[in-house]
Amino acid sequence: MSEKPVKGSRRVFMTGNEVCAWAALAAEADIMYGYPITPQTDIMQYWTRLAPKYGRKFLQTEDEISAGFTTVGGVIAGKRAFSATTGPGNTLFQEPMSMAEMMRIPTVVIIPQRGGPSTATVIYSQQEVTMTTFGGNGEGFRIVYSTAGHQDLYDYTIKAFNTAWKYRFPTFVLGDGYQAKMREPLTIYDPAERGIEMVKTEPLVGLPGTPGVDRPVQYLRNTYNTEEELYDVVMSIAKDYEKAAPEIMEWQDFDTDGEMDVLILAHGVVSRAAQGALPLLKDAGIHAGHFRPITLRPMPEEQMRQAAAKAKRILVVESAYGQFLKLVKEALYGMDKPIDTLLRPGAGVTAEEIVHRIQEGR
Amino acid sequence: MRIVEAFVGEYASGKSENAINRSLELLAENHKVTLVDLDTVEPFYTLRPLKKDLQGMGLNVIAWSPEETMGLGEAGSLLRQEMIWALKNEGSIILDIGYGVHGANIFNLIEGATSDPDLKVYAVVSTARPMTATKEDIVEYIKDLGKVDGLINNTHLGNETTPEVIEEGSQIVTEAALELGIPVIYTAVSQELAHQFPGTDKMGNPIKVIKRFMPQAFW
Repeated sequence: MSEKPVKGSRRVFMTGNEVCAWAALAAEADIMYGYPITPQTDIMQYWTRLAPKYGRKFLQTEDEISAGFTTVGGVIAGKRAFSATTGPGNTLFQEPMSMAEMMRIPTVVIIPQRGGPSTATVIYSQQEVTMTTFGGNGEGFRIVYSTAGHQDLYDYTIKAFNTAWKYRFPTFVLGDGYQAKMREPLTIYDPAERGIEMVKTEPLVGLPGTPGVDRPVQYLRNTYNTEEELYDVVMSIAKDYEKAAPEIMEWQDFDTDGEMDVLILAHGVVSRAAQGALPLLKDAGIHAGHFRPITLRPMPEEQMRQAAAKAKRILVVESAYGQFLKLVKEALYGMDKPIDTLLRPGAGVTAEEIVHRIQEGR
Repeated sequence: MRIVEAFVGEYASGKSENAINRSLELLAENHKVTLVDLDTVEPFYTLRPLKKDLQGMGLNVIAWSPEETMGLGEAGSLLRQEMIWALKNEGSIILDIGYGVHGANIFNLIEGATSDPDLKVYAVVSTARPMTATKEDIVEYIKDLGKVDGLINNTHLGNETTPEVIEEGSQIVTEAALELGIPVIYTAVSQELAHQFPGTDKMGNPIKVIKRFMPQAFW
């Protein structure tokens, strides 16, 4: 193997898309498949500048359907393969990602969300939550990490490969155009130095030995003949997913120890605004806490409920018109808590706007 | 004297910040100054959102305003005709160029760029960017850019920048400049750290104190 792209660890300053390319290199990704779409394209551009130096590969496909299926194909061939897309590209990715769910193909896709519906804008949005968590004609058997900045992008891009390969579910790193383009310091590191061992990859087809004699038959299917057959397969995937979920779920909470006037629920970059709002609210005499799910699939529902139980009210904040809100309502079903919202589809949210929303609601 | 300078370099190296500061410095020396946003690569994080403020300070700013643009990053970048003729402006001219090799290709579209006797091209370098973190990487990168007359050490970690970070960058950038046979024009230091750099840095490079404008360029 050629020289390690990241040795030791060091503090750096760059854009979020570059961070993703470096993280994929550090995670020993073998190949990226992709089709350009803003604000994802720089991940490809940086990957193509860096990959040849370290013996890694890239294939530009003719569209996103193809980028998704070639990523699936790369993984089936035993490569640590990934892609990146967003917006309308993410829409096209849903068909190959459904296939990955059904066949248990550990694909990794980075999604710097853009505005929608349709082509819309390219900078700021959280409008791909529904599609990334539950897109395709499936049951949402995926893992979705929602990042809140450059350190997250680095950490969770590396982790996504291991989660995907360990549990064999398609895994997504859900960022946004803002994180993709903004600049901030972070620490990049060689995963091995942090004790992170990359899960070994292996081909899913063409295995040695005779199927059924030396080894079980490796039967990758996405087509079934009878309802009973399909039902058994889907229920078995569901069982595996539910079993893995508690090991995969991640969350953060801020100031949620005591009784709260309000609990702010937000994910991704909007969580940064929520974190910024807490000291401002404290100064205004309002006891607020913040719960941030890092995994949107699987959702840390029990932990969110525990935090919500200590608050008089809930405020859901997102850069979408209720996509995260739906997930929250499902998580908090049956709890007697009033829910307020600050929904800004395709637009940014500042700490001050959250404070204002809470004050006007009093 | 007519000053014509172009700032090239990587994403997040500090091209716009240095271009703005240089423009204001010349303005303070009673130059008539035109500042041109020629970033056709990165349509988001440019000095555009600051256009009105900079004009208010007395600069002639040639840039798109955010409200004039459409389909950023989708519809391709258009040049204003004033951009193509930017070098024909009276007085001193500062060009803020898009990142990397493709950014530097903009000179092909600017009238007079290859023949302007006064044009100096400075590459802004931050060793806190992994792609330009070593002498070898910087040398290779600068050679790809075409005409470069000098390097600017703008090594920084945003709000986390320390004198040590800047000095470490200065050493690497200076070694690269030596190998390239071009000078280090200056080491950039933000106002907050200026008192720690009287005169020169440890490598003997002049210090330029810069005010940070770009954190206000909320797009």
